[in-house]
Amino acid sequence: MTSVDLQELTAMALEEIARADSLERLDGVRLRYLGRRDGLVTLAGQRLRELSPEQRAVYGQEFNRATGELRLALEARQRELAVGEEALREDAEWVDMSHPFREPEVGHPHPVAGLIREIEDIFAFLGYQSVAGPELEDDQHNFQLLNMPPEHPARDAHDTFYLRPPAGGWLYRTHTSPVQMRAMLGSRPPLRIIVPGKVARRDNPDPTHTPVFHQVEGLCVDRGVTLGDLKGTLEYVIRALFGRDRRVRLRASYFPYTEPSLEADVACAVCQGAGCRTCLQKGWIEILGSGMVHPEVLRNGGVDPEIHSGFAFGMGPDRIAVLRYGLADLRDLYENDLRLLECF
Amino acid sequence: MRVSHEWLGEMVDLEGVEPAKVADLLTLSGTEVEKVTAFGEGLEQVVVGEVVGLRRVEGSDHLFLAHVATPGQEPREVICGADNLFVGALVPWARPGTRLPIGAEIGRKRLRGIWSEGMLCAPDELGLGSDHDGVLILSPADAEGGMPLDRVYPADHLYELEVLSNRADCLSHWGVARELSALLSRPLRDPETSRPPRSSSAPSVQVAVDSSADCPIYLAELLTGFGDTPAPAIVRRRLAAIGQRSRGGIVDLANYVMFEIGQPLHTFDLDRLPTPESELAVGVRRGRRGESITCLDGITRELDPETLVITVGDAPQAVAGLIGGEASAVGPGTSQVLLEAANFNWARLRSTSRRLRLRTEASGRFERQLSPHLARRGADRFIHLAVRHLGATLGPGAVGGVPLAAAAAIRCDPARISSILGMELSPAEVAGPLRRLQFEVREGRGEILATPSPYRTDVTTAVDLAEEVGRILGYRKVPGTLPPNRQAPPLEALAEPVARLASATCRAAGFSEALTLSLVSGEREGLAPRLIGNLAHLELDNPLSAQLGSLRQGLLQGLLQSAHHNQARGQDQVRLFEQGAAFWGRGPERPEEPWMLALLDLEDDEAVAAAARLRRLMALIASLSSVGGGGVVEFRPVTWLGLHRARAAEVWAGAERRGIVGEVARPGADAFDVRGRVEVAELRLDGWLKPGGRPGHAPPLPRTPALVLDLSVTVPSGALLGPALQAVEALGLPELELVTPIDEYVGDQLGPGVKGWTLRLRLRRPERTLTTAEGDKARQAVLRALELEVGATAR
Repeated sequence: MTSVDLQELTAMALEEIARADSLERLDGVRLRYLGRRDGLVTLAGQRLRELSPEQRAVYGQEFNRATGELRLALEARQRELAVGEEALREDAEWVDMSHPFREPEVGHPHPVAGLIREIEDIFAFLGYQSVAGPELEDDQHNFQLLNMPPEHPARDAHDTFYLRPPAGGWLYRTHTSPVQMRAMLGSRPPLRIIVPGKVARRDNPDPTHTPVFHQVEGLCVDRGVTLGDLKGTLEYVIRALFGRDRRVRLRASYFPYTEPSLEADVACAVCQGAGCRTCLQKGWIEILGSGMVHPEVLRNGGVDPEIHSGFAFGMGPDRIAVLRYGLADLRDLYENDLRLLECF
Repeated sequence: MRVSHEWLGEMVDLEGVEPAKVADLLTLSGTEVEKVTAFGEGLEQVVVGEVVGLRRVEGSDHLFLAHVATPGQEPREVICGADNLFVGALVPWARPGTRLPIGAEIGRKRLRGIWSEGMLCAPDELGLGSDHDGVLILSPADAEGGMPLDRVYPADHLYELEVLSNRADCLSHWGVARELSALLSRPLRDPETSRPPRSSSAPSVQVAVDSSADCPIYLAELLTGFGDTPAPAIVRRRLAAIGQRSRGGIVDLANYVMFEIGQPLHTFDLDRLPTPESELAVGVRRGRRGESITCLDGITRELDPETLVITVGDAPQAVAGLIGGEASAVGPGTSQVLLEAANFNWARLRSTSRRLRLRTEASGRFERQLSPHLARRGADRFIHLAVRHLGATLGPGAVGGVPLAAAAAIRCDPARISSILGMELSPAEVAGPLRRLQFEVREGRGEILATPSPYRTDVTTAVDLAEEVGRILGYRKVPGTLPPNRQAPPLEALAEPVARLASATCRAAGFSEALTLSLVSGEREGLAPRLIGNLAHLELDNPLSAQLGSLRQGLLQGLLQSAHHNQARGQDQVRLFEQGAAFWGRGPERPEEPWMLALLDLEDDEAVAAAARLRRLMALIASLSSVGGGGVVEFRPVTWLGLHRARAAEVWAGAERRGIVGEVARPGADAFDVRGRVEVAELRLDGWLKPGGRPGHAPPLPRTPALVLDLSVTVPSGALLGPALQAVEALGLPELELVTPIDEYVGDQLGPGVKGWTLRLRLRRPERTLTTAEGDKARQAVLRALELEVGATAR
């Protein structure tokens, strides 16, 4: 074996490596030339021992270069073939990526529950804590402490569900305002809370009424709270809910538990204030009632009106959802039709 | 309440103020204008015609042929269906070519072989209210033949008002004009009154009021000398405009004064009262048991000691403030009346009105705390008009009740008003709007003293004054600010609420959020599985219907109903959850309001797939507990009312039962008309999951590899995995990190009555790698435990 033989052998091997068209064949080439026991190049290497030290130095160098070259070639070819074979395997497992798909299987939020969470988030930004209160109340908290003694005309608007004996002392709260009283009686000012929750009024179901619905109550009590603060807060919140450019107006009103009392309207989205069926030709849609907490109510809550003042408001997320999402009928909110829920 | 622009214009100058502007001013200051309608517009083409001949149309039982004429013209034939025509009647005649305000174009029409020359109109056809009972008959006092109708009914605008419940003073044109006078800064012109001298011809009158709490003031005035004169045209026209029918001169005037001044009046026909020669004894007292009165509407009502009545000679003649008696009603031929102008206790009237289920224009005003000061004003206005227009003479009068207290002055610091409203106002800026509202204002050093108008019973405190100033100046002028924020919310407010955690987790698992009413039919809810066992429902005392008669004890009833709703609309897969309060009560104590979460997963009727869905549901419950910091969950098989007897479990965590999970039994699903298999769970979250969720403690991660071994055993087919795994856990093997069931096998190879389990054991010691021998030892120990617990043998 001479250097020339080794060069020829290497050339042959390189050629076979290049020709090998599968990983299996390539492995055959590897074994034929570099097999541990009887590879042609391996065998040539074994003859090193028979050479003189000078020849061994020369030939050994050549041998090392040849085997190194072959290994590199084998690896390179192996990578090439592997990629091709993986491609074939993958091709066999093809998926029609143009196939239309159903939406990922996550559930959808209820529009009202979602809106309540959104309102909570807006108020959290303004430093309000969301608290809950009982849905069954006594006359005291639902009415009397809120300046509505028995026979008070304002009770007309609160057509109340009463429980039957033996639970006859209880009623289903007609608004979330009793939680105002509970909050004032339970802690000292400053107070900033909102109260989302269910309320009930004895209204027959129709497109704009359900006997059970939701309210979000808000209360802010501190030193020096003004009606201007109420206005600024409501304007911020209403714009957050209805969009920056939606027009808002505050209108004088009457509630026994606030003085002065205000209602907030937003411009009707359908007619932009021109008057249409949705807004009953008014151009505005009423979305919340509010006012400065009546001094008597503050006193009933253990707050001294000479030191502290506050404002309160109550809004109807069901109604806001109907306005915001363009629903035709409030009752749809309680049917849980998945075709509706999946829109959110 | 409806008010007329033209009528208001008599009391406050509305020159140059468009109806839309009036509506805006009133609405923003609290008296909401719901609608503005044009009244009597486009009537110039309609003429007043005189019926000069009238006969039935041959062959018709309801059509009449009228000959209608205008001066100087030949009569024309007009066919008409109304039966209130008579020869000599003045009627609105729309001749061919006339376009009516309601839009219809009138032509010549051939009916039963006769050419009808136009149409005789009912009020509604002219845009003059909704009356369609017959042709509008015009009074010769107001109209003459040939006159265009717009001279009888000048164009006007009507405002439909929603008056706030504390503003009885606004239930009249005068009251609304007072508002507009303040809002527009234009002077108020009070309706004219005068007190003519009294004649002494009639009997004298005395008033005895039993309780001035029931009736603070009662004015009785005798008026004589009425003929059958109708009220003046303007009175009748204005009443018609606001939708009131004409009922003769005396009643029209009384109504007119009520709508103008706001004081309800009642007139009794003096000749129909039990009148003695000398003195008429009028009394205001409570009714007595056994007494009754036949009212103006023809209905006889029983009286009782809760009802306030007006008596003459102790015989009830009217239910006070609500309705008069039929016996003493004023009618054609009435020549002398007893006029009542009084004020009655609002709360008493409210309860009486509710008990009798009757509400009248009068009671609606008294109920809202009408000012007693109005009574004198109302009586004087009636007397003035009756004397001037109906030829009446004033006779003796009397007053009952107590002297009325003048409105108290309110002391108030203008700075306080500024600080309530959040805008800087000078004392003059505070006093201005109050004066415009007819309040008497005195400015002192650093304070003002304001005496409200006597007709404003709602203004008693400084805060009330602030509201008056604010709404008259307009809240538009108040700058919007944010309140001072000197204290951060409590730290608890930062923890994510349980309801949010639970909602997010359920939605991530593919369940959509539902909301249902808290009112249910108790009977129907009894058909749905519930976490609370056998408990009577809390019932409403005044339900809208039996369907909504009880408070819900759980949430599954609502979800099953929603499942049915969806399935009936073609959804084959329904996954819903709801959170909310349920109501559990026993006896008179405050009922419990547990915060519940219910889940429902409905698909087809395939048993094996349903079992997989049930497992998935259980996995979700375990995740919920883990996410919500509720600890490890254990499912204990159970027999539960309403659930499949072999597919139901209680959910336990932290040594308490937290809920139930299982498949709805067939009869239950059928009761809700749901096809397929329904997997459900109902959980009580309060007391279990924690705001903020799991605390998130992370022990150091192991650095040694785990040894994973599979163990296949044969067990009796009824063996339960839960207890088996508990038994393994009870071994307390320190290196046993996790046991996972990876396969359950039932098949011929194993023989009858048995099944195969394959469990995967994960073993680890933190300090060193385990040997195979140690692994085998652990596997043997597990096998022994399984042998003892469920009779397992190695496979």
